[in-house]
Amino acid sequence: MDLFLQYLANGVVIGSSYVLVAVGLTLIFGILGVVNFAHGEFYMLGAYAGVTAVTLFGMPLPLALAVVLVFSALLGFGAEAILHKPMKNRDATSSIISSFGLAVALQNAALLTLGPQPRLLKTEFSTIPIELGPVFMPLQRALIPVAMMVLIGALYLILRYTWTGRSLRSMSQHATVARLCGVRVERVAVVTFMVGAALAGVAGFLMSSVFMVHPIIGNMIVLKAFTVVILGGMGNILGAAVAGLLLGITESMTSAYLANGLRDIIGFVIVIAVLLFRPQGLFGKAFERS
Amino acid sequence: MKKLAILLVVALVAAAPFVVGGYETNVLMNALLYVILATGLNLVAGYCGQFSFAQGAFYGIGAYTTAILSRDLGTGFWFNFPVGIAVAGLFGLLLGIPALRLKGHFLAIVTIAFQTIVYLTLSQWTSFTGGQTGLPVPSIGPVSLFGTTLFEITSLRSYFWFTLVIAVILLFAVWRLLQSRIGREWIAIRDDETLASAVGLDTTRGKLTAFVGSAALAGAAGVITAHAMRGVTPDDFTIWISATVVAMMIVGGKGTFIGPIIGAVLLTSMPEFLGGFAEYKMFLFGVLLVITVTLLPEGLIGRVRRLRERFS
Amino acid sequence: MTSVPVLEAKNLTRRFGGVVAVNDVSLRVGRSEIVGLIGPNGSGKSTMVNLITGELPADGGRLIFDGADISSQPSYRRARLGMARSFQMLRLFLSLSVEENLLLAHHIRMKSSMFDTIIARRSAVEEENSVRKRARELLAWFDLEEFADNPVSALSIGQQRMVELARGLISEPKLFVLDEPAAGLSPPNVDRLITLIHRMRDEFGMSILLVEHDMRVVRDLCDHVVVLDSGVMIAKGIPEMVVKDPVVVEAYIGSGWKRRAKA
Repeated sequence: MDLFLQYLANGVVIGSSYVLVAVGLTLIFGILGVVNFAHGEFYMLGAYAGVTAVTLFGMPLPLALAVVLVFSALLGFGAEAILHKPMKNRDATSSIISSFGLAVALQNAALLTLGPQPRLLKTEFSTIPIELGPVFMPLQRALIPVAMMVLIGALYLILRYTWTGRSLRSMSQHATVARLCGVRVERVAVVTFMVGAALAGVAGFLMSSVFMVHPIIGNMIVLKAFTVVILGGMGNILGAAVAGLLLGITESMTSAYLANGLRDIIGFVIVIAVLLFRPQGLFGKAFERS
Repeated sequence: MKKLAILLVVALVAAAPFVVGGYETNVLMNALLYVILATGLNLVAGYCGQFSFAQGAFYGIGAYTTAILSRDLGTGFWFNFPVGIAVAGLFGLLLGIPALRLKGHFLAIVTIAFQTIVYLTLSQWTSFTGGQTGLPVPSIGPVSLFGTTLFEITSLRSYFWFTLVIAVILLFAVWRLLQSRIGREWIAIRDDETLASAVGLDTTRGKLTAFVGSAALAGAAGVITAHAMRGVTPDDFTIWISATVVAMMIVGGKGTFIGPIIGAVLLTSMPEFLGGFAEYKMFLFGVLLVITVTLLPEGLIGRVRRLRERFS
Repeated sequence: MTSVPVLEAKNLTRRFGGVVAVNDVSLRVGRSEIVGLIGPNGSGKSTMVNLITGELPADGGRLIFDGADISSQPSYRRARLGMARSFQMLRLFLSLSVEENLLLAHHIRMKSSMFDTIIARRSAVEEENSVRKRARELLAWFDLEEFADNPVSALSIGQQRMVELARGLISEPKLFVLDEPAAGLSPPNVDRLITLIHRMRDEFGMSILLVEHDMRVVRDLCDHVVVLDSGVMIAKGIPEMVVKDPVVVEAYIGSGWKRRAKA
């Protein structure tokens, strides 16, 4: 039982990073209809930016976090100009291919400039252990779910109660109608990409103390985030949040009780099953296509 | 005239190993394998309109089929080749089933999930696939008929010629397929699925045959690769291989016969033209893909055709 | 002769969420008969057509085609059994030529196997050639022969409508369902269309279910008419009688003034 709780806690930590990446991805998909494969690169570059800020410039963590936020948001700004602006009125697969190209380019740019050697973030929090009953982990790791909840909570409030949030939501309902109602669609697109990238960048930074940072960490995380997006229902933020935590926990349990080799596979198997039998996602409402 | 031109091109390619060195021959052979892969993807994505990001997985399934067969049963290339094609085709059928219900983004994501599952299985199921270190595969060796050895396929050159022969045969088969009724039906499904069934076409069968054909071609390339490389590792069959094949098809021009061939040759040989910048290969690859999709969505061939139409 | 109708729809029903788009509608189309299906916008005509051709599954009712129950058959099987259709919003394979559009509709009637066509067996090649000849003949019938090798996207709307009709004809249907074939045509083209549909019935002996807005087309062509309003059949009979039926008149123009009168 004690071990079970420890696995659960580990799953929540990993799951929190999935949530942060997947929520941005699902926003970009739900609002703009773009399937962004370069999203893992926001995560990877955010991690590098954070590690550099802390180790090279000796910044304190909150400041480094701010740097990561701004830096990733700028990346999102650039990505929108490449992946969304010129691709309107194209078929669904164009943005997929284009974002794949961007992912390859960014990854290799990172490899060429930063080198293949992995880095790990170590801060003053890394060595402070905390104990919650039988669960044990470094404080820094425990802060990841907390940061996730603060960010997603803030995002949720923004979407719910601000003018920008209403614009975003109206876009996801119907872009043309939103435009007719005076929503500045171009600006909403840019904001969506910036928010999505910032969330992914922060996730990368937060996880840089758990997993090694290297140029190809974005690959697996973006694929897993896609499974989360589908499980939660495309465009559904709360769905993505729940599904992200679930995937993290499922992986942790699979690795502990079934086989470590199955850990990464399980999510993809679930996603194919869900797409076949419940394409609206685990939490989406059934809709009729006529 | 056209036939003559094709013969001439094939003859020139066949003569290449006498002129260029071993390294270039190897690059050419890779190009031939990618021609098979991209042409295969084109069946399902270019003609039938069903997007797939899983060509690398079928390539791997073909390669691992021959590797595992020769390890466990000791069978040789001539037995493993058709089996590898059939196994890849069978998995193609399996992936085709979701395509009957899903479209666009959703289908793309299922194919990506499938590709990832195959890769993870190859790299994690160590007892069956050899895990990250992969498996050794014997050479094709002597080819004999009625007890007499005709020739041996062991050297790089012999592999190159052998791959060329197989590629020409496969491309001819694909060309015939596209000229036949099934080719026309694939285009019909791509253009308008509702209309296709309204005129009586079995769109289920049409899509599944496209997936099977596409996977079978990748399987064929996989079996040859495994023997030519004398081994397989999971990292030869990642999603990036799939992305590369997609890039070749898009850059050349999907939905045309010649487009993916040109795309495959172009992108395989591109690093060789970069000289000292060869390490930027993958980076440029990504940039090229973005530029092509954005500016030339119909690919090089599509653009050339449009220009020709405008001037005539 | 008239004993077995080509098509018999019995009590068809289809709901979309809470809305009943087609409610318990029955109709029959006899051999070599032209039956009109009319009604104001949103009356359920298009849904009815989609239920008959199999694009939509019905929630209730049965469909008998040429004596066999086809209620659970998918649309491609219905086409193979001899049902062709045209679309209200013109549908053609836009990246193919005019001739290829016709050939595709004839695939279901071809005898050579897929394998024969791939290896180009002589019989398969001969069959393909004879089908091409047939396609040219039909195109000539519609004055479209010179466009056979052009992409369909290069034709005018009127010409594309004719290609749709030729596509239906080449599949040798027993029943041709025409969904508003006069939509978007100029008055002289409507006259031509009326003549062509008459000839299709007289020369090919096929039965036609005609969904139409244009009352002139309906009066000139139909043997019988079925009128829908809000998914319910409100009248049926010969065109001259039906258009004078007060219930029908009310459905067509009345809903407008009733609403105005209430306001």
